[in-house]
Amino acid sequence: MAGNARRGGQGFELAMMSPALILLAAISFIPLFTMIWMSLSKVGLIGGLSFDFIGLDNWRHLFTDPDIGSSWILSLIYFAATVGAEMVLGTLMALLIHSLIKGRNFVLSLVLIPMFIAPIIVGLLGRFLLDPSFGLYSWFLSATGLYDGNILGSVGPALAAVIALDIWEWSPLVALIVLAGLTAVPTDILEAAEVDGASYRHKLVSIILPSILPILLVALLIRAMDAIRFFAIIFITTNGGPADSTKIIPIRLYDIAFRFFDLGYASAVGLTMLVFSIVIATVFVRVLQRKEAVV
Amino acid sequence: MNTRGHPVSTTARWVLIALMLAWTLVPIVWMVLSSFKPTNAITAYPPKLFFSPTFEHYHALFSGGNNLWNNVVNSLIATGVSTLIAVVLGSAAGYGLSRIQIRGKDHLAFWIISTRMAPIAAVIVPLYLMFRYLHMLDSYSGLIVAYLSFNLPFAIWLMTAFFDDLPRDLEEAAHIDGATKWQVFWHVALPLMKPGIATTTILCFIFAWNDYAFAATFAGPSTQTIPIAAAQLLTQTGIDWGKLLAIGTVVVCPMAVFGLLVKRWLVTGLTLGAVK
Repeated sequence: MAGNARRGGQGFELAMMSPALILLAAISFIPLFTMIWMSLSKVGLIGGLSFDFIGLDNWRHLFTDPDIGSSWILSLIYFAATVGAEMVLGTLMALLIHSLIKGRNFVLSLVLIPMFIAPIIVGLLGRFLLDPSFGLYSWFLSATGLYDGNILGSVGPALAAVIALDIWEWSPLVALIVLAGLTAVPTDILEAAEVDGASYRHKLVSIILPSILPILLVALLIRAMDAIRFFAIIFITTNGGPADSTKIIPIRLYDIAFRFFDLGYASAVGLTMLVFSIVIATVFVRVLQRKEAVV
Repeated sequence: MNTRGHPVSTTARWVLIALMLAWTLVPIVWMVLSSFKPTNAITAYPPKLFFSPTFEHYHALFSGGNNLWNNVVNSLIATGVSTLIAVVLGSAAGYGLSRIQIRGKDHLAFWIISTRMAPIAAVIVPLYLMFRYLHMLDSYSGLIVAYLSFNLPFAIWLMTAFFDDLPRDLEEAAHIDGATKWQVFWHVALPLMKPGIATTTILCFIFAWNDYAFAATFAGPSTQTIPIAAAQLLTQTGIDWGKLLAIGTVVVCPMAVFGLLVKRWLVTGLTLGAVK
Protein backbone atom coordinates (compact mmCIF):
# COMPACT_ATOMS: atom_id res chain seq x y z
CA MET A 1 0.00 0.00 0.00
CA ALA A 2 1.43 3.34 -1.03
CA GLY A 3 -0.11 5.07 1.99
CA ASN A 4 1.73 2.78 4.32
CA ALA A 5 5.11 3.63 2.89
CA ARG A 6 4.37 7.36 3.10
CA ARG A 7 3.70 7.02 6.82
CA GLY A 8 7.29 6.13 7.45
CA GLY A 9 8.33 2.65 6.42
CA GLN A 10 7.17 -0.71 7.54
CA GLY A 11 9.06 -1.02 10.79
CA PHE A 12 5.87 -1.63 12.73
CA GLU A 13 4.81 -4.56 10.54
CA LEU A 14 8.29 -6.08 10.74
CA ALA A 15 8.30 -5.70 14.53
CA MET A 16 4.93 -7.46 14.74
CA MET A 17 6.15 -10.31 12.59
CA SER A 18 9.60 -10.84 14.03
CA PRO A 19 8.87 -12.66 17.34
CA ALA A 20 6.81 -15.34 15.62
CA LEU A 21 9.10 -15.66 12.62
CA ILE A 22 12.27 -15.85 14.71
CA LEU A 23 10.72 -18.58 16.86
CA LEU A 24 9.43 -20.42 13.78
CA ALA A 25 12.84 -20.17 12.14
CA ALA A 26 14.43 -21.65 15.26
CA ILE A 27 12.01 -24.57 15.51
CA SER A 28 12.03 -25.32 11.79
CA PHE A 29 15.56 -24.63 10.48
CA ILE A 30 17.50 -26.06 13.42
CA PRO A 31 15.67 -29.42 13.17
CA LEU A 32 15.97 -29.34 9.37
CA PHE A 33 19.74 -28.83 9.41
CA THR A 34 20.08 -31.36 12.23
CA MET A 35 18.15 -33.85 10.13
CA ILE A 36 20.30 -33.26 7.02
CA TRP A 37 23.42 -33.71 9.12
CA MET A 38 21.96 -36.84 10.77
CA SER A 39 21.19 -38.30 7.35
CA LEU A 40 24.92 -38.11 6.56
CA SER A 41 25.94 -39.72 9.84
CA LYS A 42 25.77 -42.85 11.86
CA VAL A 43 24.07 -41.58 14.99
CA GLY A 44 24.99 -43.33 18.23
CA LEU A 45 22.83 -42.97 21.33
CA ILE A 46 24.55 -45.27 23.79
CA GLY A 47 27.02 -43.57 26.09
CA GLY A 48 26.20 -40.03 24.97
CA LEU A 49 25.31 -38.81 21.51
CA SER A 50 27.80 -39.48 18.77
CA PHE A 51 27.88 -38.61 15.09
CA ASP A 52 30.13 -40.55 12.72
CA PHE A 53 30.21 -38.96 9.30
CA ILE A 54 29.50 -41.65 6.73
CA GLY A 55 28.78 -39.53 3.68
CA LEU A 56 25.99 -40.76 1.49
CA ASP A 57 25.78 -44.31 2.89
CA ASN A 58 22.28 -43.77 4.33
CA TRP A 59 21.10 -42.32 1.05
CA ARG A 60 22.60 -45.17 -0.98
CA HIS A 61 20.90 -47.60 1.38
CA LEU A 62 17.62 -45.70 0.99
CA PHE A 63 17.48 -46.10 -2.76
CA THR A 64 18.34 -49.80 -2.69
CA ASP A 65 16.27 -50.84 0.35
CA PRO A 66 13.37 -53.00 -0.89
CA ASP A 67 11.48 -52.38 2.40
CA ILE A 68 11.43 -48.64 1.76
CA GLY A 69 10.35 -49.15 -1.83
CA SER A 70 7.45 -51.40 -0.85
CA SER A 71 6.43 -48.99 1.94
CA TRP A 72 6.29 -46.12 -0.54
CA ILE A 73 4.21 -48.18 -2.95
CA LEU A 74 1.89 -49.16 -0.12
CA SER A 75 1.71 -45.52 0.98
CA LEU A 76 0.71 -44.41 -2.49
CA ILE A 77 -2.02 -47.07 -2.58
CA TYR A 78 -3.14 -45.97 0.89
CA PHE A 79 -3.15 -42.26 -0.05
CA ALA A 80 -5.01 -42.90 -3.31
CA ALA A 81 -7.61 -45.11 -1.62
CA THR A 82 -8.23 -42.87 1.39
CA VAL A 83 -8.11 -39.49 -0.33
CA GLY A 84 -10.01 -40.79 -3.38
CA ALA A 85 -12.80 -42.33 -1.34
CA GLU A 86 -12.96 -39.28 0.93
CA MET A 87 -13.41 -37.00 -2.08
CA VAL A 88 -16.25 -39.12 -3.48
CA LEU A 89 -17.98 -39.85 -0.17
CA GLY A 90 -17.50 -36.31 1.11
CA THR A 91 -18.99 -34.85 -2.08
CA LEU A 92 -21.97 -37.22 -1.88
CA MET A 93 -22.48 -36.28 1.76
CA ALA A 94 -22.35 -32.58 0.87
CA LEU A 95 -24.90 -33.00 -1.97
CA LEU A 96 -27.17 -34.93 0.37
CA ILE A 97 -26.92 -32.38 3.18
CA HIS A 98 -27.34 -29.54 0.69
CA SER A 99 -30.61 -31.06 -0.57
CA LEU A 100 -32.10 -30.78 2.92
CA ILE A 101 -34.44 -27.91 3.56
CA LYS A 102 -35.11 -28.49 7.22
CA GLY A 103 -32.47 -29.57 9.69
CA ARG A 104 -29.50 -28.97 7.38
CA ASN A 105 -27.48 -27.33 10.13
CA PHE A 106 -28.24 -30.03 12.66
CA VAL A 107 -27.36 -32.90 10.31
CA LEU A 108 -24.14 -31.13 9.32
CA SER A 109 -23.13 -30.75 12.97
CA LEU A 110 -23.60 -34.46 13.57
CA VAL A 111 -21.71 -35.41 10.42
CA LEU A 112 -18.72 -33.22 11.34
CA ILE A 113 -18.04 -34.89 14.70
CA PRO A 114 -15.57 -37.59 13.52
CA MET A 115 -12.97 -35.05 12.40
CA PHE A 116 -12.63 -33.64 15.92
CA ILE A 117 -11.75 -37.07 17.28
CA ALA A 118 -8.12 -37.78 18.13
CA PRO A 119 -6.71 -40.28 15.59
CA ILE A 120 -5.64 -42.54 18.44
CA ILE A 121 -9.24 -42.72 19.63
CA VAL A 122 -10.32 -43.52 16.05
CA GLY A 123 -7.83 -46.38 16.20
CA LEU A 124 -9.24 -47.42 19.57
CA LEU A 125 -12.75 -47.43 18.06
CA GLY A 126 -11.46 -49.62 15.23
CA ARG A 127 -9.98 -52.11 17.67
CA PHE A 128 -13.20 -52.09 19.72
CA LEU A 129 -15.65 -52.41 16.84
CA LEU A 130 -13.59 -54.97 14.93
CA ASP A 131 -12.57 -57.15 17.86
CA PRO A 132 -13.01 -60.76 16.66
CA SER A 133 -14.67 -61.93 19.88
CA PHE A 134 -17.10 -59.11 20.74
CA GLY A 135 -16.78 -56.22 18.24
CA LEU A 136 -20.07 -54.76 17.03
CA TYR A 137 -18.95 -54.56 13.40
CA SER A 138 -17.29 -58.01 13.48
CA TRP A 139 -20.54 -59.39 14.79
CA PHE A 140 -22.51 -57.57 12.08
CA LEU A 141 -20.21 -58.78 9.29
CA SER A 142 -20.30 -62.34 10.54
CA ALA A 143 -24.09 -62.34 11.17
CA THR A 144 -24.72 -61.08 7.63
CA GLY A 145 -22.26 -63.61 6.25
CA LEU A 146 -19.97 -60.96 4.74
CA TYR A 147 -16.79 -61.75 6.63
CA ASP A 148 -15.96 -64.11 9.42
CA GLY A 149 -12.51 -63.80 10.90
CA ASN A 150 -10.01 -61.53 12.61
CA ILE A 151 -10.17 -58.41 10.46
CA LEU A 152 -7.18 -56.51 11.89
CA GLY A 153 -5.14 -59.73 11.94
CA SER A 154 -5.55 -60.72 8.30
CA VAL A 155 -3.49 -59.30 5.46
CA GLY A 156 -6.14 -57.87 3.09
CA PRO A 157 -8.88 -56.95 5.56
CA ALA A 158 -6.46 -55.13 7.91
CA LEU A 159 -5.48 -52.70 5.14
CA ALA A 160 -9.14 -52.25 4.17
CA ALA A 161 -9.98 -51.56 7.83
CA VAL A 162 -7.34 -48.87 8.41
CA ILE A 163 -8.35 -47.24 5.12
CA ALA A 164 -12.01 -47.30 6.22
CA LEU A 165 -11.11 -45.71 9.57
CA ASP A 166 -9.32 -42.86 7.82
CA ILE A 167 -12.27 -42.40 5.45
CA TRP A 168 -14.62 -42.36 8.42
CA GLU A 169 -12.64 -39.64 10.14
CA TRP A 170 -11.90 -37.35 7.18
CA SER A 171 -14.82 -37.55 4.70
CA PRO A 172 -16.65 -34.99 6.87
CA LEU A 173 -13.89 -32.45 6.19
CA VAL A 174 -14.37 -32.87 2.43
CA ALA A 175 -18.15 -32.63 2.94
CA LEU A 176 -17.72 -29.35 4.86
CA ILE A 177 -15.51 -27.83 2.17
CA VAL A 178 -17.71 -28.98 -0.74
CA LEU A 179 -20.82 -27.73 1.04
CA ALA A 180 -19.25 -24.26 1.18
CA GLY A 181 -18.80 -24.52 -2.58
CA LEU A 182 -22.36 -25.72 -3.19
CA THR A 183 -23.78 -22.77 -1.27
CA ALA A 184 -21.96 -20.49 -3.68
CA VAL A 185 -23.37 -22.09 -6.86
CA PRO A 186 -25.41 -19.34 -8.54
CA THR A 187 -29.08 -20.18 -7.99
CA ASP A 188 -30.37 -18.14 -10.95
CA ILE A 189 -28.50 -20.37 -13.40
CA LEU A 190 -29.89 -23.46 -11.66
CA GLU A 191 -33.41 -22.05 -11.83
CA ALA A 192 -33.01 -21.15 -15.48
CA ALA A 193 -31.84 -24.71 -16.21
CA GLU A 194 -34.86 -26.02 -14.34
CA VAL A 195 -37.21 -23.90 -16.38
CA ASP A 196 -35.58 -25.38 -19.48
CA GLY A 197 -36.42 -28.80 -18.07
CA ALA A 198 -32.90 -29.93 -17.24
CA SER A 199 -32.66 -33.15 -15.26
CA TYR A 200 -30.85 -33.29 -11.91
CA ARG A 201 -28.05 -35.30 -13.46
CA HIS A 202 -27.68 -32.77 -16.22
CA LYS A 203 -27.56 -29.89 -13.72
CA LEU A 204 -25.02 -31.79 -11.61
CA VAL A 205 -22.69 -32.52 -14.51
CA SER A 206 -22.93 -29.25 -16.42
CA ILE A 207 -23.51 -26.62 -13.71
CA ILE A 208 -22.83 -27.81 -10.16
CA LEU A 209 -19.64 -29.84 -10.62
CA PRO A 210 -17.87 -27.31 -12.88
CA SER A 211 -18.56 -24.49 -10.46
CA ILE A 212 -17.28 -26.39 -7.43
CA LEU A 213 -14.19 -27.68 -9.23
CA PRO A 214 -11.75 -25.17 -7.66
CA ILE A 215 -13.07 -26.00 -4.21
CA LEU A 216 -12.75 -29.75 -4.87
CA LEU A 217 -9.13 -29.11 -5.73
CA VAL A 218 -8.58 -27.29 -2.43
CA ALA A 219 -10.20 -30.19 -0.54
CA LEU A 220 -8.02 -32.68 -2.40
CA LEU A 221 -4.81 -30.81 -1.60
CA ILE A 222 -5.69 -30.31 2.08
CA ARG A 223 -6.40 -34.03 2.44
CA ALA A 224 -3.31 -35.02 0.48
CA MET A 225 -1.08 -32.94 2.76
CA ASP A 226 -2.63 -34.37 5.91
CA ALA A 227 -2.58 -37.95 4.63
CA ILE A 228 1.20 -38.10 4.99
CA ARG A 229 1.25 -36.12 8.25
CA PHE A 230 -0.71 -38.47 10.49
CA PHE A 231 -0.11 -42.12 11.25
CA ALA A 232 -1.65 -42.65 14.69
CA ILE A 233 -4.64 -44.68 13.45
CA ILE A 234 -2.43 -47.39 11.94
CA PHE A 235 0.04 -47.08 14.80
CA ILE A 236 -2.56 -48.13 17.33
CA THR A 237 -4.60 -50.64 15.30
CA THR A 238 -2.09 -52.77 13.41
CA ASN A 239 1.26 -50.99 13.90
CA GLY A 240 2.11 -51.88 10.31
CA GLY A 241 1.14 -55.54 10.52
CA PRO A 242 0.15 -58.19 9.79
CA ALA A 243 3.22 -59.10 7.71
CA ASP A 244 3.94 -55.41 6.94
CA SER A 245 0.66 -55.17 5.01
CA THR A 246 -0.19 -51.77 6.56
CA LYS A 247 3.36 -50.46 7.02
CA ILE A 248 3.07 -47.12 5.22
CA ILE A 249 6.14 -44.91 5.10
CA PRO A 250 5.63 -42.95 8.39
CA ILE A 251 5.19 -46.21 10.31
CA ARG A 252 8.31 -47.63 8.63
CA LEU A 253 10.23 -44.48 9.59
CA TYR A 254 9.07 -44.69 13.20
CA ASP A 255 10.20 -48.33 13.34
CA ILE A 256 13.63 -47.50 11.94
CA ALA A 257 14.06 -44.59 14.35
CA PHE A 258 12.60 -45.86 17.59
CA ARG A 259 12.66 -49.65 17.38
CA PHE A 260 16.03 -50.10 15.69
CA PHE A 261 17.36 -46.67 16.77
CA ASP A 262 18.96 -46.04 13.39
CA LEU A 263 18.34 -42.30 13.57
CA GLY A 264 20.65 -41.43 10.68
CA TYR A 265 18.83 -43.67 8.25
CA ALA A 266 15.45 -42.52 9.61
CA SER A 267 16.49 -38.92 8.85
CA ALA A 268 17.13 -39.80 5.22
CA VAL A 269 13.68 -41.40 4.99
CA GLY A 270 12.16 -38.37 6.75
CA LEU A 271 13.75 -35.95 4.29
CA THR A 272 12.18 -37.78 1.34
CA MET A 273 8.78 -37.51 3.07
CA LEU A 274 9.43 -33.81 3.56
CA VAL A 275 10.10 -33.39 -0.17
CA PHE A 276 6.79 -35.14 -0.90
CA SER A 277 4.83 -32.75 1.36
CA ILE A 278 6.67 -29.68 0.01
CA VAL A 279 5.68 -30.63 -3.54
CA ILE A 280 2.00 -30.77 -2.54
CA ALA A 281 2.30 -27.53 -0.55
CA THR A 282 3.76 -25.85 -3.65
CA VAL A 283 0.73 -26.87 -5.71
CA PHE A 284 -1.58 -25.69 -2.89
CA VAL A 285 -0.02 -22.22 -2.79
CA ARG A 286 -0.10 -21.96 -6.62
CA VAL A 287 -3.80 -22.87 -6.63
CA LEU A 288 -4.51 -20.27 -3.94
CA GLN A 289 -2.71 -17.52 -5.85
CA ARG A 290 -4.50 -18.40 -9.08
CA LYS A 291 -7.84 -18.42 -7.29
CA GLU A 292 -7.21 -14.96 -5.87
CA ALA A 293 -6.31 -13.71 -9.33
CA VAL A 294 -9.63 -15.00 -10.70
CA VAL A 295 -11.92 -13.74 -7.93
CA MET B 1 -34.76 -25.64 -2.81
CA ASN B 2 -36.86 -26.94 -5.65
CA THR B 3 -36.42 -30.69 -5.83
CA ARG B 4 -38.12 -31.27 -9.16
CA GLY B 5 -36.08 -33.58 -11.29
CA HIS B 6 -34.14 -34.82 -8.29
CA PRO B 7 -33.12 -38.43 -8.95
CA VAL B 8 -34.15 -39.65 -5.54
CA SER B 9 -37.57 -39.30 -3.97
CA THR B 10 -38.06 -37.72 -0.58
CA THR B 11 -38.29 -41.11 1.11
CA ALA B 12 -35.15 -42.39 -0.56
CA ARG B 13 -33.37 -39.22 0.46
CA TRP B 14 -34.26 -39.77 4.11
CA VAL B 15 -33.02 -43.35 3.87
CA LEU B 16 -29.69 -42.06 2.53
CA ILE B 17 -29.50 -39.45 5.30
CA ALA B 18 -30.18 -42.15 7.88
CA LEU B 19 -27.42 -44.33 6.39
CA MET B 20 -24.99 -41.40 6.45
CA LEU B 21 -25.80 -40.64 10.08
CA ALA B 22 -25.53 -44.32 11.05
CA TRP B 23 -22.11 -44.62 9.36
CA THR B 24 -20.94 -41.48 11.16
CA LEU B 25 -22.49 -41.88 14.58
CA VAL B 26 -22.72 -45.60 15.40
CA PRO B 27 -19.02 -45.88 16.43
CA ILE B 28 -19.23 -42.81 18.67
CA VAL B 29 -22.57 -43.72 20.23
CA TRP B 30 -21.40 -47.30 20.76
CA MET B 31 -18.26 -46.07 22.53
CA VAL B 32 -20.13 -43.68 24.83
CA LEU B 33 -22.87 -46.22 25.52
CA SER B 34 -20.42 -49.03 26.25
CA SER B 35 -18.44 -46.84 28.66
CA PHE B 36 -21.50 -47.04 30.96
CA LYS B 37 -21.81 -50.82 30.68
CA PRO B 38 -20.68 -53.29 33.32
CA THR B 39 -17.50 -55.04 32.14
CA ASN B 40 -19.13 -58.34 31.23
CA ALA B 41 -21.72 -56.53 29.10
CA ILE B 42 -18.98 -54.72 27.12
CA THR B 43 -17.47 -57.96 25.87
CA ALA B 44 -20.74 -59.87 25.53
CA TYR B 45 -21.33 -61.73 22.28
CA PRO B 46 -23.59 -61.03 20.52
CA PRO B 47 -23.32 -57.34 21.47
CA LYS B 48 -25.83 -56.13 24.05
CA LEU B 49 -27.96 -53.06 23.50
CA PHE B 50 -29.70 -53.11 26.88
CA PHE B 51 -27.88 -53.10 30.21
CA SER B 52 -28.02 -51.51 33.62
CA PRO B 53 -25.83 -48.37 33.41
CA THR B 54 -22.90 -47.92 35.74
CA PHE B 55 -20.30 -45.22 36.44
CA GLU B 56 -17.76 -47.75 37.67
CA HIS B 57 -15.29 -47.18 34.81
CA TYR B 58 -15.28 -43.40 35.27
CA HIS B 59 -14.95 -43.91 39.00
CA ALA B 60 -12.00 -46.29 38.51
CA LEU B 61 -10.43 -43.83 36.07
CA PHE B 62 -10.49 -40.84 38.40
CA SER B 63 -9.69 -42.50 41.72
CA GLY B 64 -6.67 -44.26 43.16
CA GLY B 65 -3.00 -43.29 43.11
CA ASN B 66 -2.08 -43.14 39.44
CA ASN B 67 -5.32 -41.77 38.09
CA LEU B 68 -6.25 -39.91 34.93
CA TRP B 69 -6.26 -36.47 36.61
CA ASN B 70 -2.47 -36.38 36.20
CA ASN B 71 -2.85 -36.98 32.47
CA VAL B 72 -5.62 -34.39 32.20
CA VAL B 73 -3.38 -31.81 33.88
CA ASN B 74 -0.45 -32.73 31.59
CA SER B 75 -2.64 -32.46 28.51
CA LEU B 76 -4.06 -29.11 29.63
CA ILE B 77 -0.63 -27.61 30.36
CA ALA B 78 1.08 -28.77 27.14
CA THR B 79 -1.93 -27.99 24.95
CA GLY B 80 -2.91 -24.76 26.69
CA VAL B 81 0.53 -23.14 26.81
CA SER B 82 1.41 -24.04 23.20
CA THR B 83 -1.97 -22.74 22.02
CA LEU B 84 -1.56 -19.47 23.93
CA ILE B 85 1.93 -18.84 22.52
CA ALA B 86 0.82 -19.76 18.99
CA VAL B 87 -2.25 -17.52 19.04
CA VAL B 88 -0.55 -14.46 20.64
CA LEU B 89 2.50 -14.56 18.37
CA GLY B 90 0.41 -15.69 15.39
CA SER B 91 -2.06 -12.80 15.73
CA ALA B 92 0.70 -10.21 15.81
CA ALA B 93 2.58 -11.83 12.93
CA GLY B 94 -0.62 -12.38 10.96
CA TYR B 95 -1.42 -8.68 11.16
CA GLY B 96 2.10 -7.71 10.18
CA LEU B 97 2.21 -10.17 7.30
CA SER B 98 -1.21 -9.10 6.06
CA ARG B 99 -0.33 -5.40 5.98
CA ILE B 100 3.33 -5.43 4.98
CA GLN B 101 4.41 -4.86 1.39
CA ILE B 102 7.77 -6.45 0.79
CA ARG B 103 9.38 -8.36 -1.99
CA GLY B 104 9.53 -12.07 -1.32
CA LYS B 105 6.31 -12.07 0.68
CA ASP B 106 5.15 -15.09 -1.34
CA HIS B 107 8.31 -16.99 -0.41
CA LEU B 108 7.76 -16.13 3.24
CA ALA B 109 4.18 -17.39 3.08
CA PHE B 110 5.31 -20.56 1.35
CA TRP B 111 7.93 -21.24 4.00
CA ILE B 112 5.27 -20.85 6.72
CA ILE B 113 2.80 -23.23 5.08
CA SER B 114 5.44 -25.85 4.32
CA THR B 115 6.48 -25.83 7.99
CA ARG B 116 2.88 -26.55 8.92
CA MET B 117 2.63 -29.41 6.42
CA ALA B 118 5.83 -31.18 7.42
CA PRO B 119 5.08 -34.84 8.17
CA ILE B 120 5.06 -35.49 11.91
CA ALA B 121 7.08 -38.69 11.56
CA ALA B 122 9.83 -36.70 9.85
CA VAL B 123 9.84 -33.87 12.42
CA ILE B 124 10.00 -36.29 15.35
CA VAL B 125 13.46 -37.63 14.50
CA PRO B 126 15.58 -34.45 14.76
CA LEU B 127 13.47 -33.13 17.64
CA TYR B 128 14.09 -36.34 19.57
CA LEU B 129 17.83 -35.93 19.17
CA MET B 130 17.73 -32.24 20.12
CA PHE B 131 15.52 -32.85 23.16
CA ARG B 132 17.75 -35.68 24.28
CA TYR B 133 20.78 -33.42 23.99
CA LEU B 134 19.05 -30.54 25.80
CA HIS B 135 17.47 -32.78 28.47
CA MET B 136 13.99 -31.82 27.31
CA LEU B 137 12.57 -35.33 27.07
CA ASP B 138 9.79 -35.88 29.60
CA SER B 139 9.32 -32.12 30.04
CA TYR B 140 6.45 -29.77 29.33
CA SER B 141 8.78 -27.49 27.37
CA GLY B 142 9.61 -30.32 24.96
CA LEU B 143 5.96 -31.02 24.26
CA ILE B 144 5.19 -27.31 23.94
CA VAL B 145 7.97 -26.81 21.38
CA ALA B 146 6.78 -29.90 19.48
CA TYR B 147 3.20 -28.59 19.35
CA LEU B 148 4.40 -25.14 18.33
CA SER B 149 6.14 -26.72 15.35
CA PHE B 150 2.73 -27.20 13.72
CA ASN B 151 0.50 -24.73 15.61
CA LEU B 152 2.66 -21.62 15.26
CA PRO B 153 2.77 -21.70 11.42
CA PHE B 154 -0.92 -22.62 11.41
CA ALA B 155 -1.81 -19.62 13.60
CA ILE B 156 0.34 -17.18 11.58
CA TRP B 157 -1.10 -18.38 8.27
CA LEU B 158 -4.72 -18.44 9.41
CA MET B 159 -4.61 -15.09 11.19
CA THR B 160 -3.04 -13.58 8.05
CA ALA B 161 -6.00 -14.90 6.05
CA PHE B 162 -8.49 -13.48 8.56
CA PHE B 163 -6.75 -10.06 8.63
CA ASP B 164 -6.62 -10.04 4.81
CA ASP B 165 -10.41 -10.17 4.82
CA LEU B 166 -10.81 -7.23 7.19
CA PRO B 167 -11.96 -4.06 5.39
CA ARG B 168 -9.25 -1.39 5.59
CA ASP B 169 -11.57 1.66 5.72
CA LEU B 170 -11.80 1.77 9.51
CA GLU B 171 -8.05 1.46 9.91
CA GLU B 172 -7.45 4.16 7.33
CA ALA B 173 -9.90 6.44 9.14
CA ALA B 174 -8.17 5.86 12.47
CA HIS B 175 -4.80 6.63 10.84
CA ILE B 176 -6.13 9.91 9.53
CA ASP B 177 -7.40 10.73 13.02
CA GLY B 178 -3.82 10.45 14.20
CA ALA B 179 -3.77 7.02 15.78
CA THR B 180 -0.43 5.22 15.85
CA LYS B 181 -0.11 1.88 14.05
CA TRP B 182 -0.13 0.05 17.35
CA GLN B 183 -3.34 1.85 18.42
CA VAL B 184 -4.95 0.96 15.10
CA PHE B 185 -4.02 -2.69 15.59
CA TRP B 186 -5.02 -2.87 19.24
CA HIS B 187 -8.20 -0.75 19.25
CA VAL B 188 -9.52 -1.14 15.70
CA ALA B 189 -8.33 -4.33 13.99
CA LEU B 190 -8.03 -6.74 16.91
CA PRO B 191 -11.52 -6.22 18.38
CA LEU B 192 -13.00 -7.08 14.94
CA MET B 193 -10.99 -10.30 14.94
CA LYS B 194 -12.86 -12.10 17.72
CA PRO B 195 -14.23 -14.84 15.44
CA GLY B 196 -10.81 -15.32 13.81
CA ILE B 197 -9.02 -15.51 17.14
CA ALA B 198 -11.62 -17.89 18.58
CA THR B 199 -11.38 -20.18 15.55
CA THR B 200 -7.58 -20.18 15.57
CA THR B 201 -7.48 -20.84 19.33
CA ILE B 202 -9.93 -23.71 19.21
CA LEU B 203 -8.31 -25.39 16.21
CA CYS B 204 -4.81 -25.09 17.72
CA PHE B 205 -6.16 -26.53 20.95
CA ILE B 206 -7.80 -29.48 19.17
CA PHE B 207 -4.68 -30.26 17.07
CA ALA B 208 -2.44 -30.34 20.15
CA TRP B 209 -4.95 -32.09 22.41
CA ASN B 210 -5.37 -34.86 19.81
CA ASP B 211 -1.64 -35.42 19.30
CA TYR B 212 -0.37 -38.90 19.90
CA ALA B 213 2.92 -39.30 17.99
CA PHE B 214 4.85 -36.46 19.63
CA ALA B 215 3.72 -37.31 23.14
CA ALA B 216 4.42 -41.02 22.57
CA THR B 217 8.02 -40.16 21.72
CA PHE B 218 8.80 -37.18 23.98
CA ALA B 219 6.61 -37.54 27.07
CA GLY B 220 7.89 -39.51 30.04
CA PRO B 221 6.32 -40.75 33.27
CA SER B 222 5.69 -37.23 34.59
CA THR B 223 4.29 -35.63 31.41
CA GLN B 224 2.07 -38.28 29.84
CA THR B 225 -0.96 -36.80 28.14
CA ILE B 226 -4.40 -38.44 27.97
CA PRO B 227 -3.88 -40.11 24.55
CA ILE B 228 -0.76 -41.79 25.98
CA ALA B 229 -2.77 -43.13 28.91
CA ALA B 230 -5.20 -44.62 26.38
CA ALA B 231 -2.42 -46.15 24.27
CA GLN B 232 -0.84 -47.76 27.33
CA LEU B 233 -4.08 -49.44 28.32
CA LEU B 234 -4.46 -50.61 24.73
CA THR B 235 -1.08 -52.35 24.55
CA GLN B 236 -1.51 -54.27 27.78
CA THR B 237 -2.56 -57.89 27.69
CA GLY B 238 -6.08 -58.22 29.03
CA ILE B 239 -7.34 -54.84 27.86
CA ASP B 240 -9.57 -53.00 30.36
CA TRP B 241 -12.15 -51.92 27.78
CA GLY B 242 -14.39 -50.13 30.28
CA LYS B 243 -11.62 -47.75 31.32
CA LEU B 244 -10.47 -47.28 27.74
CA LEU B 245 -13.90 -46.37 26.45
CA ALA B 246 -14.31 -43.95 29.35
CA ILE B 247 -10.98 -42.30 28.38
CA GLY B 248 -12.13 -42.15 24.78
CA THR B 249 -15.31 -40.38 25.84
CA VAL B 250 -13.31 -37.91 27.97
CA VAL B 251 -10.94 -37.12 25.05
CA VAL B 252 -13.64 -36.79 22.39
CA CYS B 253 -16.60 -34.97 23.92
CA PRO B 254 -15.00 -31.61 24.83
CA MET B 255 -13.31 -31.36 21.41
CA ALA B 256 -16.55 -32.08 19.54
CA VAL B 257 -18.25 -29.30 21.53
CA PHE B 258 -15.37 -26.83 20.98
CA GLY B 259 -15.21 -27.63 17.28
CA LEU B 260 -18.91 -27.07 16.76
CA LEU B 261 -18.74 -23.77 18.68
CA VAL B 262 -16.85 -22.24 15.75
CA LYS B 263 -18.72 -24.15 13.04
CA ARG B 264 -19.42 -20.96 11.11
CA TRP B 265 -15.64 -20.39 10.55
CA LEU B 266 -14.50 -24.02 10.47
CA VAL B 267 -14.22 -24.21 6.72
CA THR B 268 -11.98 -21.12 6.66
CA GLY B 269 -9.89 -22.51 9.48
CA LEU B 270 -9.44 -26.02 8.18
CA THR B 271 -8.65 -24.92 4.62
CA LEU B 272 -6.18 -22.38 6.03
CA GLY B 273 -8.21 -19.54 4.59
CA ALA B 274 -8.47 -21.02 1.08
CA VAL B 275 -12.27 -21.27 1.31
CA LYS B 276 -14.35 -18.55 2.91
